[in-house]
Amino acid sequence: MRSRLRYFIVVLMATAFLSSCSELAPPADELSPSIPRTATGEPSLDGIWQALTEANWDVRPHAAGPALLPELGTFSAIRPGLGIVEGGEIPYQAWAAEKQQENFANRLELDPEGKCFLPGVPRATYMPYPLQILQTSQYVMVAYQFANAVRTIHMEDPGPSPSESWMGWSVGRWEGDTLVVDVSSHNDQTWFDRAGNFHSDALHVVERYTLMSPDHLLYEATIDDPNVFTESWNISLPLYRRVEENVELMEFKCVEFVEEKLYGHLRKDPSDDVEVNVVGVDPD
Amino acid sequence: MRHQLVALFFVFFVSAGLLISTVTVGQVSSTTEAAYMPPRTPEGQPDLQGIWSNAVLTPLERPDQFADQAFLTEEEAVAYEAQRNDETFRGTRDLDAATDVAYAYNDFWWDQGSTIASTRRTSLVIDPPDGRIPPLTAEGEKRRNARDEYRRLHPADGPEDRLLRERCIVWSGGGDLGAGPPMLPSAYNNNFQLVQTADHILILKEMIHETRVIPLDGRPHLPGSVRQWLGNSRGHWEGDTLVVETRNFTHKTHFQSTSEHMRLTERFTRLADDVLMYEFTVEDPVMLTRPWTAQIPTMKLDGLIYEYACHEANRGMVGLLGGARAEERAAREAANE
Amino acid sequence: MRILLIVLSAHIMFFTSIQLRAHHSFVAEFDPTQPIQLRGILTEVELINPHSWFHIDVTGPDGLVVSWAVEAGTPNTLFRKGITRDTLPVGVEILVDGYRAKDGTNTASGRDITFPDGREVYLEGSAPPAQDATSIP
Repeated sequence: MRSRLRYFIVVLMATAFLSSCSELAPPADELSPSIPRTATGEPSLDGIWQALTEANWDVRPHAAGPALLPELGTFSAIRPGLGIVEGGEIPYQAWAAEKQQENFANRLELDPEGKCFLPGVPRATYMPYPLQILQTSQYVMVAYQFANAVRTIHMEDPGPSPSESWMGWSVGRWEGDTLVVDVSSHNDQTWFDRAGNFHSDALHVVERYTLMSPDHLLYEATIDDPNVFTESWNISLPLYRRVEENVELMEFKCVEFVEEKLYGHLRKDPSDDVEVNVVGVDPD
Repeated sequence: MRHQLVALFFVFFVSAGLLISTVTVGQVSSTTEAAYMPPRTPEGQPDLQGIWSNAVLTPLERPDQFADQAFLTEEEAVAYEAQRNDETFRGTRDLDAATDVAYAYNDFWWDQGSTIASTRRTSLVIDPPDGRIPPLTAEGEKRRNARDEYRRLHPADGPEDRLLRERCIVWSGGGDLGAGPPMLPSAYNNNFQLVQTADHILILKEMIHETRVIPLDGRPHLPGSVRQWLGNSRGHWEGDTLVVETRNFTHKTHFQSTSEHMRLTERFTRLADDVLMYEFTVEDPVMLTRPWTAQIPTMKLDGLIYEYACHEANRGMVGLLGGARAEERAAREAANE
Repeated sequence: MRILLIVLSAHIMFFTSIQLRAHHSFVAEFDPTQPIQLRGILTEVELINPHSWFHIDVTGPDGLVVSWAVEAGTPNTLFRKGITRDTLPVGVEILVDGYRAKDGTNTASGRDITFPDGREVYLEGSAPPAQDATSIP
C-alpha cells in the first residue's frame, strides 16, 4: 500500500516536472527573456546598435563585385548581400530605373556617402557604423557615428517642418511595443545605398522599431515616393546591440578625409603631395 | 522668562543679519534667495534637459574700459544693453569696404541675443579675476606665432589653410581662437539641446550638429593615443551639478591657442526653470600660464534646434579657393604685361 | 561721462567681436572693390546651411536674362522668425545690394535683400538702398 502511494507520488512529480519542461520551450511567437522597459512601461531602446547586413552596398539582393578602383584590390570590394527589400525589387517608374543605372555607373563621383555627406533616413540605420539611441518621454535621440549625424525624434508634436533637410523631420509615437516614426521633409540629395538607389524630395518614410530581445532590435521601414516609385515598398533588418564593455561611439568626422576629393582641383598647386589630415594619432 | 525671550529674539535677529550679509553681490541666480530645487528625471537626477541658448551680448574677455570692474550696476547694464541692441547694419554703413564685406549680411540674419548675461558681469571670463584669458607660455607664444605666420604666407593654398569652421569641421565662434567644446556664443544659432538618461547625457550643439554622448558610469577616458576633434568626455554628478571632463583633443583645434594637452571641465547647474548655468575651466600646462574659467548663464529657448548641415553645401569654400586662384591669375597676367 | 565711455567702448568692442563671427571670411570670397546692386525676379530660395542662396534672374537692357546667385545667412534664423519655405516671395522682383565674388562667377554676397520700395524682404520697416553701387544691366 505504501509503495503504491510512493509510486503514485513519483508519477505525480514526474508529470508535474515534464509539464513544466514543456513551458521552458515557449511557443514560436513568444518573446525570449523579457526586454528592458522604462519607468513608464515602454520598451527601452537605449544603447548602441549596429546593423550587420550588406544593405549599404545595395539594399537589393546582389552578388559580390570589385572595388571602384583596381588598385584597391579587395579593399572596398562589394560584399554580397541577401538584401533588405521585401520582395527583392524596388518598384521604380521606368525613367527612374534608368536613372538608377546611371547613378550606379557614376557612383564614384555621385555617391553622397563618399563625400561625407549626411546619409539621410533610412540609410543611416544600416550603414556599417554604430548608432546610439537615447530615449526619453519627450525625445528619442539617435546619434550616428558616421559624419557625427544625429536625429531628434519628437515624441510630442513639433509642428510642421519649415524646410527640407538631410536627416528629415521625425515625429514618433508608440503603438504597443513598437516605436513608429514618421519621417518627412527629406531633401533629394541622399541615396539608399552605394548602388545608386535614390529618391526625390517627396520621400516619406515610416519606421518601426521593435525590441525582439534585450540585444536585438527589429527595424522596418515603409518607403513612399510618388515621383520615383510606382508603389510603396518595405525594408526590414535586425540591429544588434554592441555588447562590449564600455562601448561608445567613437568619432568619425570625415570632412578632412574628402577635402582633396572635393577641392583638390582648386589648390594653388594641384600636384601638391598633400597628406590627408589625420587627427586620430597622438602627435607626441 | 522675559529675559530668555529677549535673548532668543536677539539671537534670531543677529543670525538673520549674518545670513543675509553672506549673500554677496553678483550671486548668480535669477530667483529669490530661496534655493531652487530642480525637477528630477524618472531616475532621480536633477533634470537639466531642454533647449538652451547661450546668446549673450557679454564679451568673452573684459574690455579695457572696465579694467577693475567685474560687474555692471543695474543702470550701466541697461544703458549698455540698449546701446548694443541699437546697433544695426541696415542702411548706409559708415565703414570701409573691406569691413563692410566682412560683415557679410545685415542685422536681420544675426541672432546674438538681446541681453547681457543676467549676472551683469563685464566678461564671461570669471577667473582670473581681471576677466582676461591668461598669457601663453613661451611655447604657447611660439606655436601661435608660427601658426599666424603660416596663415599670413599661405592664406588659401588649399582647404587645410582655412579655419575649422570654414571647412565645416568644428564650429568656432572666435576666428581661429575658438573651436568647441566648450560652447561659446557666436553670431547665430547659439543653441544646444540636452537630453539625459540614467547613464548618459547627450549634448547636441546646433552649429554643425555637434553631438556628444557622454557616459556617466565612471568608465575611464579613451587612451591618449586616440585623439578626436571633440575630445573624449566623461560625466559625473557633484550634488546637483553635472561635471563633464574632456581630454584627448587634437593638435588642430587650438581653442583659444591651447594644444592637444588641453583639458576641459564643464559644469552644468540648473538655477531656475529657465536658467542653466554653464561654467567651464580650460587647462593646458604646456600652452597656458594658468587655467581660466568662464561662466555663461544659458536661457531656455522658446523654440527648436534645426539641422545645421554645413559641409554638404559649403559653396563658400569653392568660392574662397576659386577667388584666391583668380586673384593669382590676375596678378600673373598683370606681371606679364 | 561714465555712460558715454561705456557706450563708446561697447561700440568698439562690438564691431571688433562681430568681425570674427560669421561662418567664413567673406573678404576671402567677395571683392570689396566691386560693390554691386542687382534687380531681378526671385526665382528660387535654397534654405540650406551654412548659407541660404537667393537666385534671381536679372534682365539686361539687351533683353538677355542672367541668373545670379546671392549668398545670405543661415535659414535657421528665418525659421525662428516664423519664415518657412512656404512663405517665400518667389516670383517677386527684389533688390540685392552686395559685393561680387572674386572668382568671376555670377555670385554676390547679399548684404541687403529688399523689395524695390526698400522694405526688407519678409519684414516691414524701411531700409534705404545702398549707395556707391554699380548697377549691372
